[in-house]
Parts: sequence; structure tokens; C-alpha cells
Amino acid sequence: MAELNIIERVIALEGVDLLKNLSPEQLSRIASIAKEVRYAPGKRILDAASAQDSLFVILDGKVELASNGSVLHTAQQGEVLGAWALFDSEPLPVQATASHDVHLLRISRDDFFDLLSDNMEITAAIFSTLVRRFRQITEAIKQ
Amino acid sequence: MALYMMSVLFAYYILKAASRGLFLAKFDIDKLPGLYILIALFGGILAYVYTKIAIRSSLKAAVLGATAVSVVVLLGLVPLLRTGQMWTYYFFNIWVSLFSIMLVSQGWLIAGNVFTSREAKRLYGILGVGSVIGAAFGGTFAAWLVGLIGVGNLLFPCAGMVVVAYGLFRLMLRLPGVNLDQAKGADDEEAEFSLGEILRSVKESRHLQVIVASITITYVVDVMVEYQFSAMAKEAYASDPTGKQLTAFLGNFYGLWLNLITFFLQLFLTSFVASRFGVGGTLQIMPVTLFIASVVTYLSPSVLTTAGARLAEAATRYSFNRTGMELLYLPLPVELRNRVKAFLDIVVDRLARGLGGAILIVLGTWLHLGIDDVAIAVLVLTVLWMVLSWLAQREYVTTVRNRLASRRLDLESVRVAVTDLETIRMLEQTAQSEQPRQAAYALSLLAESAGYDPAALLAKMSKTAEAAVRAPMYRLAMAAGDKSLMARAEAELAGGAPVPEAIAYLLAQSGDPDTQVGALLDHENATVARAALDNLARHPERAQRLLSDGWLNAASKHADPQRRALAATAVRIRGDAGTAVLHQLLADPAPAVVTSALAAAGHLQNRSYLDALLGRLGHARYRGDALRALAAFGDKITGSLSDLMNDETVAVAVRRQIPRVLRRIPTQRSVDALLAAINARDLTLRATVLRSLNGLREEQPQLTYGTQPVVAQIHAEAKFYYEMSATLAAFEKKQGDSPAASLLVRTLQDRLRDTISRLFRLLGLQFPPTEIYSAYLAVRRKGSGESYTTALEFLDQVLDRDLKRVVLPLLDSSTNVLERGKELYGVNLPEVEEALRRLMKSGDNWLVCCAMATAGEWKMKQLSDDIRCLKDSGEEVCAVASQVSATLTVL
Repeated sequence: MAELNIIERVIALEGVDLLKNLSPEQLSRIASIAKEVRYAPGKRILDAASAQDSLFVILDGKVELASNGSVLHTAQQGEVLGAWALFDSEPLPVQATASHDVHLLRISRDDFFDLLSDNMEITAAIFSTLVRRFRQITEAIKQ
Repeated sequence: MALYMMSVLFAYYILKAASRGLFLAKFDIDKLPGLYILIALFGGILAYVYTKIAIRSSLKAAVLGATAVSVVVLLGLVPLLRTGQMWTYYFFNIWVSLFSIMLVSQGWLIAGNVFTSREAKRLYGILGVGSVIGAAFGGTFAAWLVGLIGVGNLLFPCAGMVVVAYGLFRLMLRLPGVNLDQAKGADDEEAEFSLGEILRSVKESRHLQVIVASITITYVVDVMVEYQFSAMAKEAYASDPTGKQLTAFLGNFYGLWLNLITFFLQLFLTSFVASRFGVGGTLQIMPVTLFIASVVTYLSPSVLTTAGARLAEAATRYSFNRTGMELLYLPLPVELRNRVKAFLDIVVDRLARGLGGAILIVLGTWLHLGIDDVAIAVLVLTVLWMVLSWLAQREYVTTVRNRLASRRLDLESVRVAVTDLETIRMLEQTAQSEQPRQAAYALSLLAESAGYDPAALLAKMSKTAEAAVRAPMYRLAMAAGDKSLMARAEAELAGGAPVPEAIAYLLAQSGDPDTQVGALLDHENATVARAALDNLARHPERAQRLLSDGWLNAASKHADPQRRALAATAVRIRGDAGTAVLHQLLADPAPAVVTSALAAAGHLQNRSYLDALLGRLGHARYRGDALRALAAFGDKITGSLSDLMNDETVAVAVRRQIPRVLRRIPTQRSVDALLAAINARDLTLRATVLRSLNGLREEQPQLTYGTQPVVAQIHAEAKFYYEMSATLAAFEKKQGDSPAASLLVRTLQDRLRDTISRLFRLLGLQFPPTEIYSAYLAVRRKGSGESYTTALEFLDQVLDRDLKRVVLPLLDSSTNVLERGKELYGVNLPEVEEALRRLMKSGDNWLVCCAMATAGEWKMKQLSDDIRCLKDSGEEVCAVASQVSATLTVL
């Protein structure tokens, strides 16, 4: 299968909540550091026991999210795995396993931070998303 | 500077004696309170007007202006006074009060700009001596000369001394290190305090209320005591209608005796009293002295007793009271302190003198009370004053304690050479407290207190374990030359984990520093070796002896990155002559080494490191250090930086950082280099160039931000906006649910927004930047009502016709942008195919990708050839082109 071009990657990244405030061109910069990875059925993508250092966007296929042996959710095309792993290396409370052949877009934390340090406006946009999220949580707690 | 102060004070004390002598000779004593009120009123207005003008002028212009006005007025007063008209004597006295504000205060302002606050603490004493000598000679000179030439003619030598003072000022400007180009004619705080804000601050702070009350009572009493003295002096010299004898008496009294006694008190007693009795004790001296003097005056009113009271009043005010009041200001935040002081100097001081005049009118004219009764009134006021001083001391202690707790006390900005007992005691207690940060802060403040002996405190603290406290403890001991911590510092060194200050302290006390520093340079603990290097940085000759090529080579090849970082610091200290290790260290894999090497390269300013520095500019990890290092080279590399910034073969990541370097070199050459790049093809670089230019304009408004290239670029950006709008219009209706077309449309909208931002940045180079920025914010929130309309009206007012024609239609939502684009630049609305073709040729890689992907989604086979041509472009463009070509071929 051919690699995705930059436009296709940007379209895939548009579904990532954390990157919602970014312009298409800013997304293209993130797309340029994203790598495509593939997992065969049954392969572990995220392990509850190990530290995380990447965010994954599902381009194709399905991924089972399970905790203590029971499947909580089956993630599909366009969904994101480990969104907060870009900022937090703590292990996730769930494990993710490919249930079919899975095609993913992977953004590693180191590459992401390098990109942020070169692109202040992307950093600002992500901060703004995080602040907005924080406000929503605060409002929800108040209510 | 001391000679300047001497000349000005010389002239002032002649004027002071002459103006008051003439007035008392010509008028009855009951006219004097009216004069106090007039001086308070008109003197205040004139001082305010002068300060408003001075704040807008440079200091040089203010000094020249004040000199010229003074000379003209002094020479003009001579014939005016000869006419004998009554108003001339009032005018003369009011003018003398302004003279002191203009020239005497200006002298201190010049000193404030010539010296740093540390130098000031050391040198203000010398300037004070110059002032005292000038005042003493001025008064004595007036007393001697008035008998020969008369009172009015004393104004000629005064004018002469003002000219001499100006000559000395010009001479001072030629001295090395003196640069007053940026200095303003008055302190900002003096002119920019807001009355409402100050009154609010006073209302909220008991501390400020006590200060205001103290100052008010000080000047009310000042006026009343001077009145008693003047009345008695007039009576004593009533036989001389020319005022010569009275002027001679006042010249000697104010110039010689008052200044000598004040000088003596200030030099020998003030510091002692402040450090022994604290703020409260210092502030009590003046009211207590005046209480006693007033009792004597009441019992035996004569020229001798009133002169004694006047001497006591003025001498204690200039010495003890001034120091006490300075200390009283100490716990206030610096900005508030400056504003409040300016307010008190300009407003409260005069209001209080006016109030004093009014009280005298009530006592003398309405109640017909005599001089001895005025002494009773002074007695009552001094009792009130003593209570106020006690309150002041209480408030001071409370405020200092609160400020210490929040580590917001600033001793450095207070220009007094003493620190009072209460503050010292509180600082000592805080230094021994359980909270390390507060303790460290208190120790650092004690290290700044001139003449403080820390031996007792250090003895109590010698077992302190906290590193955060040990460091300032050693600094305090070093500042005081105290050797009691030697054993402690040696033990720390032997223990292997000393704070760097312990090593600095040991080396400062060492009898053989060369041997000791040499040994410590190779110490196994890198912190110790760095402390030894810090010592060498302060002793360049020692550095040349100890930092050999052999030591540098060994350190630069050491396996430990900390040692290699030390090698870089060592090169910085001793220079790079005869060694090439810095090139190697700049390419080191360890970040700490590269950071030190970058700092060294910036310090040495050797152009052979330029390539390495520029290379590091492209790496986020080193960018900040590389920026600082390059900026340290200054103007001599602006030409090279400009060439690289405009060279499209240089990595764009490096080129985009160069405007940030140029911004840190605030010269005309930097501005010119940036202006040459305002039309850079890379939009990110172009935006960075404009950001740097805007920053420079804000900080360096005196530089020239070339009109012609800016206007040309405004036209270019406007044309780009019209073209992009037309292209966008071609897609907006057709985009449907096509994802690539949606990306393209949103990118074009982003480009339009960015263009508006660049346009405003360009306008900010030609018009007032703050107002232009406000207009930009209003335009960005388009449709938000009044502010948007006001912004458009503002631009309509400031832009010239040519710019208005192209810029306003872009911002005004009621304008048809497409029509205006066609009219102004012949921009037509393209067909979709043509619009995509143009975008593919735009050279803007992201837009090219979006345009190709859109063509693929819309199956526009007719663009196949255009897309195929792009297969040789950059990696990402090529990937998109190949896939879209393949899709279109299949159709």
C-alpha cells in the first residue's frame, strides 16, 4: 500500500481533538513528522504496563481497547490512541491491540517537541486548546 | 559633577539671600505670609509646567533651556528691580523658588543619569560636599559683595555662575563613559503620576498617610519658624532701607552657617543616630529640637533666639529628618515610592507651605498675635509632630516586616548610606529564621548595607546547613571582609560538596591565590573547578598565568562533559589566542559543552566562529544561546547576517532566525538589513522580519524606518491580498464536501488573515505603533461595533491618500474587495482551473499541495501537465504530484 501524502495525513490529523485549533498549514508541519506504522492482528499497540511516548491516529483497521481482560471499546478509522502521551509518559489505564490489520499514523513525543520549539504559533494553538479543555472541566465541576 | 553642583548652589544662595533681603526691606512683615502662599501657588504651577516640558525633552535640551531662561530672567530682573515696582519683588521671590527646582534638581537628575545606583551611594557624598561648598561660598560672597554693588547687581554674578555651570556640564559630556543621549529632562514619575491613583494609594495605606502628615507638618512649621526669624531680622536691620545689610546677614546665615551646621550633622551624626536609634529616633530629633528652640523663643524673642530656632529647624530638616524620611519610604514598592515622592515634592510640599502662610495670616492679621505667640503655635505643632513620628516608626516596622515576609524589600534603590537599626535587627532575625529563601534574601540585603559589621550574625549562623543560605552568608562575609568563616569554608571544601561561594570566599582570603586556584582548577568536583574559574574571570592576569594551552587541551578532551564545558568557559576567560579548542567544543555532542562554547564565542567575537554559531541557530536546543552569542558581535556582523538572510541557498531554518539576532543589535544597520528583507519570498521569514522591525521601532524610535521600501511593500501586500481574495472567491462556491478543497479554502483564508497582520505591522513602522496595534485588534474582531468603526476612522485620519486608497477597502466589510482589486491592480476573478494553475505556480509549497490535491479530487484532467511539471519539486510536493498524476491518468 502506498504511503499517504501530506494532504491525506493532514486530513487524518484534523480528527485529533488536541490539534483542533491548528490551521491546515500548521497541521501539515505535524503531518511531516508523522510516520506510518502497520500492525498485524493480535499485535499489542499500547501496553498498560509500559510508558507511552507516541500518539496514534487510526488510518485504517480496528483496535480493541481493553482493561483487565475485558474489551471496553473498539476504535476505528479516524480515532486517536494515546493523545495525552505527547505530554505525559505515565502508562495508560488500558491496553490497545490490533484486531485487524491496522494502519496508523504515529507522532513521537521527541519529534513533536522539536517541532513545537521551532513553531511558536503551533505551541500557542495547542496551549489554547488545553486551556479551553481545562475551562470546560472547571465549569463542569462547578455545575 | 561636584563642580557643577558647586556653581549652581553658589548662584542659588546668592539669589536666596538677595530675594528675601529685598522683600523684607521693601515690605512690612505682615506681607510675608502672602508671599509664602504666592510661592506655593505660582511656584507650584511653574514647576509643574517646567516638568511637563522637561519630560518631553532630552536632558541636554532641558539643561540648555533652563540655563538660557535663567540667564535671560536674571539679566532682565536687574532693570526691573530698579523701577521699584512692588510686583517685581514678588516675582523675584517666586522665580527663585523655580530656579531651585530647575537647576538644583536638574543637577541631581544629571548625577542620577551619569552614575549607577551603586556608584551613586559612593559618590553622592562628594557631590553633597560640592553643594555645601558652593552654598557656603555663595552666601559669603553675597554678604561681601552686596556692600560694594548693591542687592540688585548681585544678579550679574549669579547669571555668570549659571553660564559657568553650563560650561561644566558640556565638559562633563566629553568625559569617557558619559552618555546622556537617551536621558530625559525630568524623571517620568515626576510628570506621570496620577492624582487619583496617588490619593487612592494614600487612602489605602496608613504608612503613606503618616508620611503625608509628617511632610505637611514639617513644612507648615518650616514656614512659621522662618517667619519668626524674618520678622526679627527685619526689625534688627530696619535702619537700612536698601536691604544691603539684611541681604549680607541672610547670605551668611543661609549660605555659610546653615550649610556648615547641616554638613557637620550629616557627616558625623546622622548615620550614627539612624543606626543607633532607628527611624523613630531619627524622626524625633527635629520636633524635639524645635520644641526646645520654641520654648526659648517664646521666653526671649530676639534675632538671636529666632535665628537659633531657624538654624535648628533647617539643619535638622536637611540632615536627620531627610534621612529619616528616606528610610520611611524604604518599605514601599519602588514604583509607588517614586510616584509618591514626586507627588509629595510637587504638591504636598507646596500645599503645606501655603497652609503655613494661611495659618500665619490667621494668627497675625486676624488674631493680631505677636512673634512669641507664633512660638506657642509652633510648640503645639511640635507636640503633634512627636506623636506622628512615633506613629511613623510603628507603621515602618509593620510594613518592613510584611515586605520582608514577601521578599519585596529593595534597599538598592534607596540612595542613603545608612540603614537604620530596626531594619538591621529585622534583617538579622529573618536571616536566622527557619525559612531558607527569606533568610537568603535578608542576608543579601545585609550585604548591600554599607558599613554593616556581620561578625556577630555570622558567628551565630556558622553552622547553617542549607546551601541556599550558605551562599549569601559567604557573600556577606566577603563584602564585609570578614574572615570568621574560613574554617567552615575549608571544611566544606574537604567535604567535597561546597557551595561555589565558599570557594570564592576561600580564594578571596587566600595568601597565595595562584597556587590555590591552580590546585582547585583540577579538583575532582567540577563545581569547585568552576568556582576557581570564576575567580580567574575576575583576575585576568592570573588567568593568563594559570590557563595554559596544555590545561585547555586536556580539559577539552576530557571524557566528562562538565570538564569540557569548563574548557569552553576557560577560553572565554583567557581568550583563544594560540588555540583552536573552541571550534572543537562548538561541535561537541554534549549540550552543556556547546552552550558554554557558544557563550565563549559570543564573548570573544572572533568571526571564525560565525559559521558554527549560525549552524547552531537552526537547532531549537541551542537557538537561544546562539542568538545571544551572535548578537554579542554587534554591528560588525549585520552585513554578513543580511547577506545570509537574503540568500535562498541557506537553510530556511537558519534564515528565519536571523531577524531575531538583528533585533538584538539595535542599530540603524540592523534596521536597514531588516528593511531589505521585508519582501522575502518565505512568508514565515517575512513575518519574523516585520516582528523584529516592530520590536526595534518600539525600543529605538529614534532610528529611521525607511518610508519608501515600507510603502512599496504595503502596496505589494495589498495586491497579494486582492489576488488571494479573487482566488478564494473562485473556490468558495465549488468546495462542497471535498476535503482537499476545504483545506485549500481554509489555507487561503489564513493567508488573507496573515496578510492583514503584515499590513498592520508595516503601518506600525510608519505611524504611531500603539495606535496602529489597537486598530489592528479592532479590525481583527471585525463587526464588533464601535471599536471597529473607530479603528477605520483613525486609519482614515492618519493614512495618506495613496495608502488609504489601497488599505481601507481591505478592512471595510462594506467594500466589494473584488471590484476594488480589479480597479486598483487589474485583478480579475479567475475561473477555477486558472486559479488552481496559478496556485500551483505560486512557489508556496503547502498551497501547491492543496491545489494539486483539489485538482485530483475534482478530476481536472486538463491540469495533468501542470501537475506533472511539479514532480521535480520538494519531497512533499513531489509525493502529492505523483499520486494526483496517477489518479488523473486512470480517469
